[in-house]
Amino acid sequence: MKTNPIILAGIIFGVLTGSAMTAEPSRGKAVYESNCIACHGTGVAGAPKVGDSGRWSVRIKSGMAALYASAIKGKSAMPPKGGNPALSDDDIRATVDYMVAQSGAGKPSPAASTAKPAAAKGAAPVEKAEISRPDPVGAAVTTAAPLVPPAMAASEVNRFNRLLMPVGRRHPPPAEDGIHDPSNDATHVLQPPLDAYTGFPPGPAGNGVDWVKTLEQGKIKPRYDRKDPNAAPVVMDLNIVREVKGSMPDVVYPHKQHTEWLDCSNCHPAIFIPQKGANQISMAQILLGQKCGVCHGKVAFPVSECRLCHSKKKPMGVAQTGKN
Amino acid sequence: MRPPVLLLTTLLGILLALSGAPAGAEYGDVVLNKRAEKEGVRPVVFPHWFHRIRFRCKVCHNELEFKMRAGANDVLMADILDGKFCGMCHNGRIAWGPENCDLCHSGKPGLPTGILGGHGTSGPGRW
Repeated sequence: MKTNPIILAGIIFGVLTGSAMTAEPSRGKAVYESNCIACHGTGVAGAPKVGDSGRWSVRIKSGMAALYASAIKGKSAMPPKGGNPALSDDDIRATVDYMVAQSGAGKPSPAASTAKPAAAKGAAPVEKAEISRPDPVGAAVTTAAPLVPPAMAASEVNRFNRLLMPVGRRHPPPAEDGIHDPSNDATHVLQPPLDAYTGFPPGPAGNGVDWVKTLEQGKIKPRYDRKDPNAAPVVMDLNIVREVKGSMPDVVYPHKQHTEWLDCSNCHPAIFIPQKGANQISMAQILLGQKCGVCHGKVAFPVSECRLCHSKKKPMGVAQTGKN
Repeated sequence: MRPPVLLLTTLLGILLALSGAPAGAEYGDVVLNKRAEKEGVRPVVFPHWFHRIRFRCKVCHNELEFKMRAGANDVLMADILDGKFCGMCHNGRIAWGPENCDLCHSGKPGLPTGILGGHGTSGPGRW
């Protein structure tokens, strides 16, 4: 039963390429042992090691077709067909199937491999092969079984709601963050954010780190000068109070925390004219990425943290009681 | 025979679409793709969080002359090799050198230039 999906994938790709040949696991093993083992057995030059299910599963995610294509055409350090042009494309596919099966990263994903043929017109024989299979735990069942649960798992029901992103998914490692290319080997070398944040005071938003406290407590020692690790910042301790309309507390702008990170010229005079009363600031501007919004909402804490800026309570008028 | 196959295909399609959706760039990640893909390499992902642990904002946004607006900086590989922009540090002396292409050029193909992970979510702004 175990080899069923592998054979099925072989059949599908055999049909796809117009070849009647079926990929044989034994052929794959032979090719692997004579050609690929040098790199993929040892993991040299960034080659995903056979048996390393973690690194193989990210590759399988992009689909067996992509995996076959990179094996045939070559990819980063890997030469086309592993450097042996005498091998046929079918040999390569059989070998990839074998290596995937050996890596325990799940069988060659039927999801990825059947999606295309089923969508394409010329896939009719494949569909028949799938459906007419009498075996109850055959292809159709094994294909459908892993598909439905992920879409229905209880932990996933709020997945569409990005404001309720579960804690475990907030700072994913590069390979899973959706912007790094998991098929790039160097992506897996990059440091995951949570590894770096260990021990940092937590913050409510953004990176989930209170960067000001992290710096104050000496958890990080970012250089103030590119070359000189001992250069000290020119810190200016001056609070600017900005009165605001309505019932929101007034804004206290602390130069101190800003000059710890920045130079005067980062903000003055391009963003803020250094003169009292010369700057009109509105939340609308900030939300459009101007004024404070040049950094806040992009790298500094976002505007959702109202009270970090609007922090000075103002004397409020007493509500009309009707007694006078 | 047709309907089950169609259903299966649809489910597969949905699963693939879901698995391909961006899970969430880290707050402050910048994608540089004005030129990268046209030149045949992956887009660059610049992680602000990683750099601010090591350098204050002022070092890059003053000494290195990076403008504080995503897309406003024309960073060419030639400049970096000449020791400008990233090359001020990524020269093998302060940080690793520009021969490690894939450490920077690590973005998914097709990413637009811009700053991502805003407001701690994977979507556009919260507002």
